[in-house]
Amino acid sequence: MDDHKSIYIKNAIWLTILTVLEVGVAFIEISRTGQIVLLFAFAATKMLMVAMIYMHVRYETKVLQKILFIPIPAGILFTIALMYDIPFRWVY
Amino acid sequence: MNQNQALPIPANDPFGKATTGKLGMWLFIIIDGLSFAGLLIAGAALRASAPAWPAAGEILNIPLTAFNTFLLICTSFTMVMALNAIQKGDNAGLKKYLTYTMAGGIVFLGIQVYEYYHFIANGFLLNTSIYSGVFYVTTCFHGLHVLSGVIYIAIILYAASKNRYSADNWDHVEILGLFWHFVDLVWILVFTVIYLI
Repeated sequence: MDDHKSIYIKNAIWLTILTVLEVGVAFIEISRTGQIVLLFAFAATKMLMVAMIYMHVRYETKVLQKILFIPIPAGILFTIALMYDIPFRWVY
Repeated sequence: MNQNQALPIPANDPFGKATTGKLGMWLFIIIDGLSFAGLLIAGAALRASAPAWPAAGEILNIPLTAFNTFLLICTSFTMVMALNAIQKGDNAGLKKYLTYTMAGGIVFLGIQVYEYYHFIANGFLLNTSIYSGVFYVTTCFHGLHVLSGVIYIAIILYAASKNRYSADNWDHVEILGLFWHFVDLVWILVFTVIYLI
């Protein structure tokens, strides 16, 4: 395998920059929705960077990539769908 | 297992060169990821029903935890460098980077214990509020993963000190790396959901 040291260093620097931006976004005066969207966007980007570059997912086969990326988002969606009744639970 | 002695891989193998050990770790990561997702969603559901929820930084120490996040990112870098070293046959590099990673993990845990100590001293306990319950359960669950990772690294480091790994045999190091990067990956989400939102 080629030496990927420079890519790994750049990735660590970008992850640090995104972390600093995340902390900044948590304290700036913007709408709550905008803040949550931005924070999740930063977190998703960082998680993808760790998975694709440090965990070498980009070098895995398409089948394995699908197996890795489908179950967790699908599980989260199913759980949220099952929690549909939460807003109504405290009404009665 | 010597990776050059592995059985020939069929051209149409859907998992490519991934070993059974690596696939096993990926399966564990998916299951563990769902456990974290369940905890975070439960926390969000409790938050949705709570009458009040502290703002970011009101109770939790954001700068200290941001430093901890930076530290975990650094350990991910050192872990991938450990794999990079042994893939080139550099056993000394493997041991050096694994030691850095383990040290980073121990410092991360030390900071978390320091944080808990101050919270407990100030009366912020597991049963103080729904917020404290969500905080302690999620961060403790993650902390246990870091602790497991540190022990796992120590075991691989011991094997490395016996010159067990080489440019042809680094499967165990790669599998360890997957676990450690997953711990980092999950912390990114925990930090965002528990500390910043």
